[in-house]
Amino acid sequence: MTTKYIFRYALAASLAVGAASCKKSLDLQPISDATVNNSYNTASQAEAALAGAYNTFVGSDYYIWDNIYTSDVRSDNHYAGGDNPDFFQYDNLTLTATNSKVYGDWSNLYNGILKANTVIQRVPLITDPSLAADRKAEIVGEAKFLRAYHYFQLVKNWGGVPLVTVPVTTTDPADINIPRASVADVYTQIITDLTDAAGVLPDSYGDASVNKARATKGAANALLAKVYAQKPDRDYNKVLTYADAVISSPAGYALVKYSDLFDDNHYNNSESILEAQFNGTTIGNWSPSLLLPPSITSTTWRKFITPSKDLANAFDSEGDVVRKNQTMLFEQAPWVDEYWSATINGVVPFPYKQRNLVNGNSTSRQYMLRLADIILLKAEALNALGRTGEAATEVNKIRTRAGLGNTPAASQAAMALAIEKERRLELAQEGQRWDDLVRYGRAETVMNALNETNLVTGQKVNYNMTVQKELLPIPQTELNRNPALTQNPGY
Amino acid sequence: MQKRITLFCTFLLASVFAYGQNIIVKGTVKDQKGETLPGVSVRVKDSDAGVATDVNGAFSINTAPNSTLIFSYIGFATKEQAVSGQTVMNIVLAEGNKALNEVVVVGYGTQRKGDITGAVSVIGKKDLDQRPNTQIGNLIEGKTAGVQVVSPSGSPSATLSIKIRGTNSINAGSSPLYVIDGVPAQDTRSLNPADIESISVLKDASSAAIYGAQGANGVVLITTKRGTTAKPKVELSAYYGVASVRKKLDVLNADQYRQLATDLGYSTDWTKYNANTDWQDEIFRTGASQNYQLAVSGKNEGTSYYISGGFAKQLGVIESSEMARANFKVNLDQKVNNWLTIGTNVAYTRYNDVSITDDTNVNGGGVLLGALTTPPNIGIFNADGTYASNPFQQWENPLASLYGSTRPYKNQRLLGNAYGEIKFTPDLKFRSSLGIDYINAVSDYFLDPYLTSYGRQNNGIARNETNLTNYWISDNTLTYAKKIGKNNFNILGGFVAQKYRYENTYIQTTGFSGNTIPTTNAGSVIGSAYNNKSEKFNNSIIGRVNYDYAGKYLFTANFRADASSVFGPNTRWGYFPSFSAGWRLSEESFLKDVTVINDLKLRAGYGIVGNDQISNSNYYSYLGGVSSGSNYIIGGNIQPGNYPSSIENRNLKWEETKQTNIGIDLTILNNRLTFSADAYIKDTKDLLQTYPVPRSTGFDFALKNIGTLRNKGLEFLVSSKNIVQKDFQWNTDFNISFNRNEVTALYGQQYFLNTISGRSEASLVTEGQPMGVFYGYIYEGVDPQTGNALYLTKSGEKSSSPSADDRTIIGNPNPDFIYGLTNTFSYKDFSFTLFLQGSQGNDIFNATRIETEGMTGPQNQSTAILSRWTTPGQVTNIPKASVNNTDNSRISTRFVENGSYLRVKTATLSYNLPKTIASKLRLANIRVYATGENLFTFTKYSGFDPEVNAFTSGNSANTNGGFGIDYGTYPQTRNLIFGLNASF
Repeated sequence: MTTKYIFRYALAASLAVGAASCKKSLDLQPISDATVNNSYNTASQAEAALAGAYNTFVGSDYYIWDNIYTSDVRSDNHYAGGDNPDFFQYDNLTLTATNSKVYGDWSNLYNGILKANTVIQRVPLITDPSLAADRKAEIVGEAKFLRAYHYFQLVKNWGGVPLVTVPVTTTDPADINIPRASVADVYTQIITDLTDAAGVLPDSYGDASVNKARATKGAANALLAKVYAQKPDRDYNKVLTYADAVISSPAGYALVKYSDLFDDNHYNNSESILEAQFNGTTIGNWSPSLLLPPSITSTTWRKFITPSKDLANAFDSEGDVVRKNQTMLFEQAPWVDEYWSATINGVVPFPYKQRNLVNGNSTSRQYMLRLADIILLKAEALNALGRTGEAATEVNKIRTRAGLGNTPAASQAAMALAIEKERRLELAQEGQRWDDLVRYGRAETVMNALNETNLVTGQKVNYNMTVQKELLPIPQTELNRNPALTQNPGY
Repeated sequence: MQKRITLFCTFLLASVFAYGQNIIVKGTVKDQKGETLPGVSVRVKDSDAGVATDVNGAFSINTAPNSTLIFSYIGFATKEQAVSGQTVMNIVLAEGNKALNEVVVVGYGTQRKGDITGAVSVIGKKDLDQRPNTQIGNLIEGKTAGVQVVSPSGSPSATLSIKIRGTNSINAGSSPLYVIDGVPAQDTRSLNPADIESISVLKDASSAAIYGAQGANGVVLITTKRGTTAKPKVELSAYYGVASVRKKLDVLNADQYRQLATDLGYSTDWTKYNANTDWQDEIFRTGASQNYQLAVSGKNEGTSYYISGGFAKQLGVIESSEMARANFKVNLDQKVNNWLTIGTNVAYTRYNDVSITDDTNVNGGGVLLGALTTPPNIGIFNADGTYASNPFQQWENPLASLYGSTRPYKNQRLLGNAYGEIKFTPDLKFRSSLGIDYINAVSDYFLDPYLTSYGRQNNGIARNETNLTNYWISDNTLTYAKKIGKNNFNILGGFVAQKYRYENTYIQTTGFSGNTIPTTNAGSVIGSAYNNKSEKFNNSIIGRVNYDYAGKYLFTANFRADASSVFGPNTRWGYFPSFSAGWRLSEESFLKDVTVINDLKLRAGYGIVGNDQISNSNYYSYLGGVSSGSNYIIGGNIQPGNYPSSIENRNLKWEETKQTNIGIDLTILNNRLTFSADAYIKDTKDLLQTYPVPRSTGFDFALKNIGTLRNKGLEFLVSSKNIVQKDFQWNTDFNISFNRNEVTALYGQQYFLNTISGRSEASLVTEGQPMGVFYGYIYEGVDPQTGNALYLTKSGEKSSSPSADDRTIIGNPNPDFIYGLTNTFSYKDFSFTLFLQGSQGNDIFNATRIETEGMTGPQNQSTAILSRWTTPGQVTNIPKASVNNTDNSRISTRFVENGSYLRVKTATLSYNLPKTIASKLRLANIRVYATGENLFTFTKYSGFDPEVNAFTSGNSANTNGGFGIDYGTYPQTRNLIFGLNASF
């Protein structure tokens, strides 16, 4: 009988065995989705996280074309087009906090920062022996470069912004409602990141198709030159140092024929320091389909960006045929353009620096950094430091390449204006103009002096530019989501 | 323990000793009318020995002459009688209070109804028999208070969703947990209602807390039939039914359509369009249903078995829609010896259906809206054999949607468990059970490459999707029941482990050379192919203590601790306690002598339950997801890239509902009138929601526990035996429920749900309002000068171009109350049941009318638009036509209608053939019946049918906030069913 009882208890115990310890069973992971726990453990995963971070250059509206709106459309270079009222706010300097592009760009840039932050945080923890220490440091350097690049866009456009340098791991409002940092603090972070990056990145990875796709020491130095020039307390000695570091880089950066820059046959050329990489199919640039004329796009709706009369005049006043022809293409447009033609089928210029289009997709690139910009920055620094003669030498390198004679500017003041104009003609449609105007303190003067007439209404456009409009509004949606933020003055 | 075992050994020795001098006791058991009672349990007191009476009420048992026999039978007072050496004992059992002695299935056990302290509704055999049907949701509808059945449509393949005491969640599921013979199950569509013995609905936290994190939406316990009679019982049932739509809607005829199209500025060569097709006639047909069931059951010498097989097939009232189900079930229990019982419940189901596209407009292939808005001027086919379309738009007629593609869905399911029960002592039992639910579902789709324009464009499309669900559950429980004086204890403790695994594959191909091969292999282009797997594991500890003192003071405490792998280690465990108490006042001395009161009980309970029904895509969200696809080109090659796709949130946890319930049960007038009332408040907090986060995080949304909901309500049940005579009985059962739902905190978030094509969303979830209120403009009629629709603006003016800010809450789909009333009349062998069911105070947003009265394009319209505005000065309520402009048909009060209804849900007339005839046919019992379903409906609603809920099928979040919308939805049908039940 006792044995009978033992049998009962034993049976019960054996039946219950499944329930005895299931603690391990609870530690499951998703099967078809990756998580932060299993995505950053190997060398190839480190590269994948980094590729994801670079993807922001080819996968976000900001770098595809919104930067042209933010800089060239907002300034005197281009008009807005298309049919979206939000887009015309850039052109007319009537931006509001609810503008969808402003919100989208803010979001794009912070998403890029998240991806860079993820690499910076996770990759150093990887213990996979096939990830060499050098490469590990490089990857972190590349990510820091990307983070700096995005923060530079943010601080130029919005001023002091929330400084986020580690990926969030909580939704606690105290942890995610981050207030704005000062402009100086953002620049300090950018310079720290770029200095770190320049310290570990190589001049070259070997092939040009890699060197122009990835951040290099040259790219970090070039961005440092731009950052030191743009920050409110600019340091032209530093600009000169970093510009020279780029110009004399072992990477061998050199000016190429101007038309080669945009003819889609010379990608990753030696003037390029960094450019967004497209293959036109799986990774395609869709903005040319929205910008190019009907003869190329086969679409007859109004395109979204139109070069301005003022820009065309600026080219003409210099007799700059080479660069004008690379920047705009004139063609009949089956719509009314307020500035160029009050009637249908008038001749209208189209943006032409990205001109390849196959099946609605393009391989054309934007230069994220290129040498001519750095040479002109060097000229700007030399001139600011009182070395106007040396500045002229640099400016003339650019003018000669464009088929123009030497600059007539002699005084320091005249040279400053000459450099500003040279930058405008050289870098039009490349997202540089607004920053130049702000840096030169000329945004108000230039925009309010513009003489643009709407041919449909017959009215001269009044831009009412103010110092406050130099910055974009903090997006209203972001203000709603983050009570710790404050709006920029004037919005 | 040592002492206990010794005690038990002594006890066992004693009984063995007693065995030596046993006698055989024989006798019969009868009721007070002198009828013999078969199946009465005859048990020797303080022993495991027991037998049951046979068909003639006779028993024979081997027992000690000094022992006591216990006679018990459902519905009768249990009787104890000392043997005192007698060898013949004739026993008369008195009818007891049936209701109170009824044994109710509760979580992990059973309880006498009279001892229950929570809010539990039971739907028993008599309710189940009344309504021959194919879905268990239909069986529950209107039968008990506090349970709302939301039927998305009248489609044979529609899955009814059930809400117990309101909607409990915004984003997580709001369906109750279904437990079938102890196995929790997700899908109830493939269950066979004929196998169901009873359904218990656990409504409050104190009764559902034993299901912890799965209990917040209530629990529906389904118990299937088991063998009860010594003689094998064979039951056969069959029915055949026809179904039709309640009404057709009036649309323009060919001439009227041509006039409208011309007015709208559409011109064509009308001589090519000279048909006058009634598209409603083309899509509707007389539906047919048939159902056959055969069951054999029995119980003898420790074995109880129930074996059944069945087949049901339903052809819907809309062409091509159908459902077929074949099922097989075995329930088996075997008493191995006096301490071990083993058993199994296994059901295999094969379920197939063909569904149609509804809840969308003609552009989306919606069949109902297709029938209403396709011009009568065209025929079904063009001369070349392809489907004809609208003369002005490439919208094909509804037959293209029905017959241009094949869409079979097949589901095979094995659901069941095996258990063992060990009795250590008469008081202490251990039960271990292992259950599985294995579902393999395959959806196929083939769009003919020739018949439809979309088919021609793609050269045919084939899809194949398989979904595999693997679930197992292991329960191990120990129960201890003890009576010490007047103190009764029942203690339960145990472990539960559950594992879910889902697998899914999908492939779509296009580019077919013809229609001979409908499978994906014949397509020349692979459009999409993917495969997903996910799993989760749950681990739980459960405990319960029932205590009562003399059946007078009743206490129940439940506790469950649940852990789920899908939440982070910090928040993985949830703890769900509950307490409830009952006081049987009728047992108190001061009421004992009040004969009019048979039973009076007060109940109160409080508990916490959880909701873990988060969607698969949110499993493991606490970890932070990383998605692939953000690639970049380096060195001319694509370098695969990935990116963080969801925010890490280690604090994610269950939604939690705190519920308080008070109730009263009263039985009076010689057990003829029973009354029950319950009042409850349910507060749900930590709602799992995708909440917007600052973009500076790099993310847009994060899954968070934020927001609160409240449901409160009252429920009443009345059951009356109005007339109890030998030949004539009349019973009435009535239930009514009032629920008020409010989103109490959402922290600034709003959810706009249920997009009506071209007019944004019609439903809103917002703080301070019930779930899913309708949101839009207030319609102010037609401007007699311009013919434009006018809407009320915030500033109180009427405007034809209001701004989005002028929208407001324009209707509430939540009913004020729902009710059901069943009257059963029996006269000799005839029985008639009339079941009325209704809903009062709910609004319906009739988006069908937006499509049929909008006049925004070349769709055919309803005859209502014949009175549209045409000339200045004309006063009418229908605005002018406006092509490609939705301003005159915005989402507004114009389309909000009163959705209240009262309907004759079922009326059943049945006749039990006299025993003389039955026995000639060698049958024990034969019953024939005729049932009418939805025979009459009283409603002001203008659409096909007021029981309509577009956007509630499927597992989308809209299920919770999107009821009460009619958008070309498959209507409920009127059914006439003829059936036969026979047993021998």
